[in-house]
Amino acid sequence: MAAQAPPAPAKVFREPAQTESVQCPCCGGPITLTGFGGIEQVACPYCGSELSPEDSGALSVMKQLQRQQRTSALQLHTRGTLDGIECEVLGIVWRECNVDGATYPWQEFLLYNPYRGYRWLVYSMSDHHWSLGATLLGAPRVDGGSMQRAVEFKKTSYRHFQTVNAVVSYVEGEFPWQLHVGDNAIAHEYIAPPVAISIEESHMPDGSADVNFTSMCHIEGSDVWKAFGCEGSPPELSGVGSVRPNPYKARGKFVWAAFGALMAALIAVSVIYIGGRTNKVIYDKSGVEGIGVVSQEITIGEGDSDTTLEVEFSAIALSNQWAFVDIMLINIGAEEAMGFGLTAEEWHGNTGGESWREGKSKQSVTLGGVKSGKYLLQITPSTGGPKTPVKLKPGQKAPPPLKLKYNLRIKENIVLSRYIFIAFFVIITFPLINVMLGFFFEGKRWRNSDYSST
Amino acid sequence: MMRPPPSRMDPNAQTIQCPQCGAPAPFRGHTVSLVCEYCESTIVRTGVDISLVGKVSALVDNGSPIILGSRGRFHGTPFEVVGRLQVQYGRGTWNEWYVEMADNTVGWLTDAQGAYSIVRPKDQSIVAGRVPPFAHIEINQILEIDGVPACVVDRRGAAYKGAEGSLPFAAQPGMEFYGADLRGFNGEFLTLDYGNDPNHNAPVPYMGESIELAEVGLHPLRQFSGWRFTGWTPPETAGQVPPQGQA
Repeated sequence: MAAQAPPAPAKVFREPAQTESVQCPCCGGPITLTGFGGIEQVACPYCGSELSPEDSGALSVMKQLQRQQRTSALQLHTRGTLDGIECEVLGIVWRECNVDGATYPWQEFLLYNPYRGYRWLVYSMSDHHWSLGATLLGAPRVDGGSMQRAVEFKKTSYRHFQTVNAVVSYVEGEFPWQLHVGDNAIAHEYIAPPVAISIEESHMPDGSADVNFTSMCHIEGSDVWKAFGCEGSPPELSGVGSVRPNPYKARGKFVWAAFGALMAALIAVSVIYIGGRTNKVIYDKSGVEGIGVVSQEITIGEGDSDTTLEVEFSAIALSNQWAFVDIMLINIGAEEAMGFGLTAEEWHGNTGGESWREGKSKQSVTLGGVKSGKYLLQITPSTGGPKTPVKLKPGQKAPPPLKLKYNLRIKENIVLSRYIFIAFFVIITFPLINVMLGFFFEGKRWRNSDYSST
Repeated sequence: MMRPPPSRMDPNAQTIQCPQCGAPAPFRGHTVSLVCEYCESTIVRTGVDISLVGKVSALVDNGSPIILGSRGRFHGTPFEVVGRLQVQYGRGTWNEWYVEMADNTVGWLTDAQGAYSIVRPKDQSIVAGRVPPFAHIEINQILEIDGVPACVVDRRGAAYKGAEGSLPFAAQPGMEFYGADLRGFNGEFLTLDYGNDPNHNAPVPYMGESIELAEVGLHPLRQFSGWRFTGWTPPETAGQVPPQGQA
């Protein structure tokens, strides 16, 4: 015997929710409703009249308008997939703010997925940057300690960028809350590129009020174009945008990693290079007195290889005096000669009550590519005083002739530290330039903020 | 789509019949009020007495993807949606879905304009006298509730609009109440329910967190023409069980 079955339950809202096609009660234009009952307001795309869905499903007129339809960057009901979530453009709002007499408009696209809720895609019409917004799951903590206003959320600090009075200038499509042309809200933007936290406060005529925390993430126009299958290419960017990631910062990681690798290589090469230098002293005479010519045979280098010489000359206890050595290195085997001079000097005096001192007591020279072999070293020292000799008064004795005492040292196979330094400077130039460009980029970004100096 | 047998999560469910149509009225442990799914009459249980309130629910379709019988997992504990309270305020409607947890506790899955949170009722004594009365609550105000600092993001007067399924109290449509929502700095979500009097400082606190439906793996869900629900992609947070592909 079959049991008596109860009547089938009404199954409230268990049938698939349907989209609807209705006519605008003001202009008669066809309106497709795709918001599935979660909608509190419909703005007719054609005439802009603001309509409110009744519980019965009919649209009542809140405000009748006759505006022109504007062309937005994305069309109503366009579908796309962002972050792996399919969504539809359910509503379009244009808002604008006024800063120093200039109007900055932007377009906001309400993206809807019945299982994922709402998100916003924001397109700045002044600089063509895009960002994708979603409700922040939590509240940012206002950071009172720092110089500049900031908020903190989940261990990231967001610096205050700007606060504007955002006014709605155009509405089209469906919204889960009421939104009218002329509505305004104070919007605070805090940034930590590529993310910003937007804080918007709104107060209702009925005394209720709410504050909305939205996280906005930079998105490339080309990604929007790809997501929504738009034709052509997105409008070219101008300016930096408030949350566009700093490309130099992004590159910084790579640049510094490359710098580290090159530095490691340089250090390794330097160690090998320095380790291979003998720095051998082949001639060293200290405290040589007088200006007699010295001639001596020395051996430079080993075998057939070339070497690098360093010749250092210094004079001892000079006083208003110059010292000079003329050095000749004559390769005995090849009958080739190199000649060069080295100077040391010391001048001092008193001019207008101020005493002064100048001159260097030593000079060195580095000679590269010196062939190995036996050389004749010839040193011809000379010395002297001021160019205009002091006139002697009658009866005054002439000063004793200037004496010279000097040191000369020659080293072979020396370390040329300048090669290491040149390599170092070349290597560090790239990260430094990158840091500088990044700094300029941030400067450009902040010029559009409330903290611009201009 | 099959609904699970009502006794699935409450072995002590009583066999009660709707006084209006005689259909089974599956009252569960915490259920005080039930909207008959056959005739939409509201039935209220007081002790052992069953009384009929009549067809008073005026639920509207506000596009929620959640349905009675949707199941998910909150911090590893399975739960099932057993009732809905629909609330109307100045800016529209929102839904409070009454959920029963497998550990025999209850909670509410709040669903407002596509933003979701799960909260559980706490004892009034943890806030009594420590929070301002509703009339003095302001948005952006920071309150500390049971040691959790949180920012007031919404304050409103609202009215019950309609209900379906089981509820832990008898909600009279049109009954007004005042409430404030708060968001914590670590994703906590809190509600202070002042009931119908805005001038006292002992609201009922509800504490929980903002969630995404994907995160709790809620299913089955309502179907929407033109959209295909293909299951949640496994959430990034570990320990969640991906739903069994049902849409």
